[in-house]
Amino acid sequence: MIGREEAQRLLAKTLSLSKAEETQVNLRGETLHLTRWNNNHIHQNLVRRNTILTVKAIDGKRVGTASTNVLDEGSLRATVELAQRNAALQKPNPDLAPLPGPEPIPEVAGFVGRTAESSPEERADAAGVIITAAQKKGLTAAGTYSAEVEEMAVANSRGISAYNAGTTGFIRTIVNAGDNTGYADRMSRDTDDFDPAELAAEAILKATLRREAADLATGEWDTIFEEYAVADLIRFFGYIAFGALAVQEGRSFMAEVMGEKALGENVTIWDDGLDPRGLAEPFDVEGVPKRRVVIIDRGVARGVVHNTMTAAKEGRASTGHAAVSDWGDMGPMPSNMFLATGSSTKDEMVRKTKKGVLVTRFHYTHSPEPTRVVATGTTRDGTFLIENGEITTRLRNLRYTQSLIEAFNRVEAVASSARITRDWWSTFTSVLPAIKIGGFNFTGGTTF
Amino acid sequence: MPARGRIFASKRNEVSAEMRETLREVLELAKARGAGYADIRVVETRAEPITMRNGNVERISTRTGRGAGLRVLVDGAWGFASPTSMNREGLEEAVDLAVRVGRASARWKHGAGVELASEPPHEDRWENHVAKDPFEVKVEDKVELLTAATRAMTEVPEIKVTGAQVDAWETKQLFASTEGSFIEQRKVECGAGVMAVARDGHDVQRRSFDDYESRGWEFVEGLDLVGRAGRLAREAADLLKADVCPRGRTTYVAGGGMMALQIHESVGHPIELDRVLGTEATFAGTSFLTPAERGRFQYGSPEVNLTADATIEGGLGSFGYDDEGVPAQRSVIVEKGRFENFLMSRETATMFGVRSNGTMRAVGAHNLPLIRMTNVNLEPGDWTFEEIIRDTREGVFVETPKSWSLDDKRVNFHFGQEIAWEIKDGALGRMLKNPAHTALTPEFWGSMDAVAGRGKGEWKVHGTPGCAKGEPVQVIHVAHGAAPARFRNIKVGVGQ
Repeated sequence: MIGREEAQRLLAKTLSLSKAEETQVNLRGETLHLTRWNNNHIHQNLVRRNTILTVKAIDGKRVGTASTNVLDEGSLRATVELAQRNAALQKPNPDLAPLPGPEPIPEVAGFVGRTAESSPEERADAAGVIITAAQKKGLTAAGTYSAEVEEMAVANSRGISAYNAGTTGFIRTIVNAGDNTGYADRMSRDTDDFDPAELAAEAILKATLRREAADLATGEWDTIFEEYAVADLIRFFGYIAFGALAVQEGRSFMAEVMGEKALGENVTIWDDGLDPRGLAEPFDVEGVPKRRVVIIDRGVARGVVHNTMTAAKEGRASTGHAAVSDWGDMGPMPSNMFLATGSSTKDEMVRKTKKGVLVTRFHYTHSPEPTRVVATGTTRDGTFLIENGEITTRLRNLRYTQSLIEAFNRVEAVASSARITRDWWSTFTSVLPAIKIGGFNFTGGTTF
Repeated sequence: MPARGRIFASKRNEVSAEMRETLREVLELAKARGAGYADIRVVETRAEPITMRNGNVERISTRTGRGAGLRVLVDGAWGFASPTSMNREGLEEAVDLAVRVGRASARWKHGAGVELASEPPHEDRWENHVAKDPFEVKVEDKVELLTAATRAMTEVPEIKVTGAQVDAWETKQLFASTEGSFIEQRKVECGAGVMAVARDGHDVQRRSFDDYESRGWEFVEGLDLVGRAGRLAREAADLLKADVCPRGRTTYVAGGGMMALQIHESVGHPIELDRVLGTEATFAGTSFLTPAERGRFQYGSPEVNLTADATIEGGLGSFGYDDEGVPAQRSVIVEKGRFENFLMSRETATMFGVRSNGTMRAVGAHNLPLIRMTNVNLEPGDWTFEEIIRDTREGVFVETPKSWSLDDKRVNFHFGQEIAWEIKDGALGRMLKNPAHTALTPEFWGSMDAVAGRGKGEWKVHGTPGCAKGEPVQVIHVAHGAAPARFRNIKVGVGQ
């Protein structure tokens, strides 16, 4: 770890080297401990450490950036000079907003020493608990156990100086019973929250429940989605529709329905980067504090998330959702989505389903028609037929192709509890309940 | 050991004697600490992406990186650590950490432990051919190219959003192992792309293009980016008024760009032997193939011939040696429809008692190597594209992937495309929007009855810089040689 003092010293030093009108410096430090196992043995185990410093220089509405992971003074100076050179080579961008000024940064308790000090021995032991539980049932287990420290610091020439360190523990397993698999995962700031035996039991139950698999006829089925699966549905709204750039460019359905009913009345979605039930973090990559944004309120489209640039275009304040990716500026993105809970339970949803499907999770989902938020993907790790209120049959995995705008207008039940979960691609970490949707469109099946 | 400074001593990237001695000492230390085998990669990277959005330069960035990754086999199990600094203390600490991680892995190791397929030590130096160094091209000239491409798109009134980008990457790498290999490599890659979004108040449609090769700026100059941008923008506008691709079973003809992704997803990933053995189950998924199907499984029709060839000059998946020090190779994957070989590492090759075919690669210094695609190709056929269309009574011709989704064993897939044309009585007809197709992988390849490639430029290697795999995820550069190909009785128009 770099630590607050050293991080802020590096940022201040870098700022002092810049001659640009405005300068922003970001520092991201990572220490990742990660253990993977499969077929009841550990096959990968690593410690990855890196720190990247990025300089954004702005001169006359022209912006240039440069980054390095070599943090000696010569490299910092060279990086600043590259950023300034890159800015100087541009044409002015009239839409470029000034860097944000300082605001009070809320405190977020996201760092747990135990997670930061995760040892390879304790991760191997946790894997061993899961492997042993699988072996006792004649099954095999695969899994991943990671413990990560992420430090983020931002400083700019308008006075922002923000630092945060957070830890994230994540453990998951897939238990194999031939073609049948079962899945479970847990995420927490504190790896002490993990109970590998309980995790193994959940995955083993899923892998061994109703072993004889059947095919399902394609068509519309009332479907119950566990939290893992809900994460993969919600992520499409998040990256396609809930960012202000997508609205301003007319790519998001939200552009046409703001203030109007867009989804079902039992659907409320908001983003809250400060809520400790999620992976709370106090500020975004521009150093702007996270603000709670109500996106869908009882079905009505109420807002989208902003960064400084999209906010300036509408004469409003950033909501603290600036994001960057290796693929370029995707515009602001939600970071900590919440779906409001209802009054049902997963058991009750099953009991009240005459004929339907239970989906544990999805794999490799994508959107062939983003404007209508049409998504497709296949189920995995436990898909079941429900008949007369009971899980009666394991189903071979299914492909769905479905407009999620339409689907979220047909939400029939929402669970009363929510849990932190992330989608298969790790696009978002959200806090989500299980839900039931009427008439969900399954368009194909696979062979296992 | 050098406290700081350049890893590569001269402009020609030759390694200093001091660095060579440092790596030898690190590997000796790993052995002394208990490693039966160790290798280290020292990597310097440079990237210069420039992106333009709606006519404004969104980003001119220069990214540089430096670091090392140390891999050890201890008691028959793997450990890996990246040092926090390249000085003596940092490297020694990384050795101790990697060995400790390896010992922890050995608590749950596989049988008697990992064995590596035999590979002689190599001392070599490799770099790809670059006529015009993309880092020497003026940034102003790159911006001017993107500006001209954007102008060509915005001349079409329906175009409301535009994107354009150029990328250049340089990777310098040293590899040294306890078996005596010492390999220097330098690879320069570049490419460009454009994207136009048309909108009319009722619909939004997009057309895009990008391509990358392991070549210099001469590759970008040959792309005709401005000309393509204008054509794509007009197509995006025309798509607003096009009919939706009908649903049903028909003959499906895919262009080379679409075929590249089809190969990537439904051949390249399923033939990765680590996926076959289940080690990617928790994220990327596994494979419908089993080890027993090597040399036996009927992957497709007799027209299907596939190779993995890391030796193609200019291929984005080409290199001199993989990250285990195994030389780049050309492997037959499918011959006349029969599956012949997996992509392998030294560890996984031992199950067949063969040499690794050299596909272990890592992204940057801080990640451990995984089995990755190289240039995985559908070999050219003896048709021309015109002959395929003329020979097709009814069907659709599609191009440019828009979405891709596969199950976790790569059996059931669904791909959406940006654009299609109806094929009727041997000719291309009306434009169709929102095309998609879905099938099961072996059935799909089993239905292929024609591949183009005889016509000039029909078969080419398409660069794919965004192949994701592993935990933590590593996004690597691969490529696919492809030409238009025809498939019979495919379910198309699978929207919702």
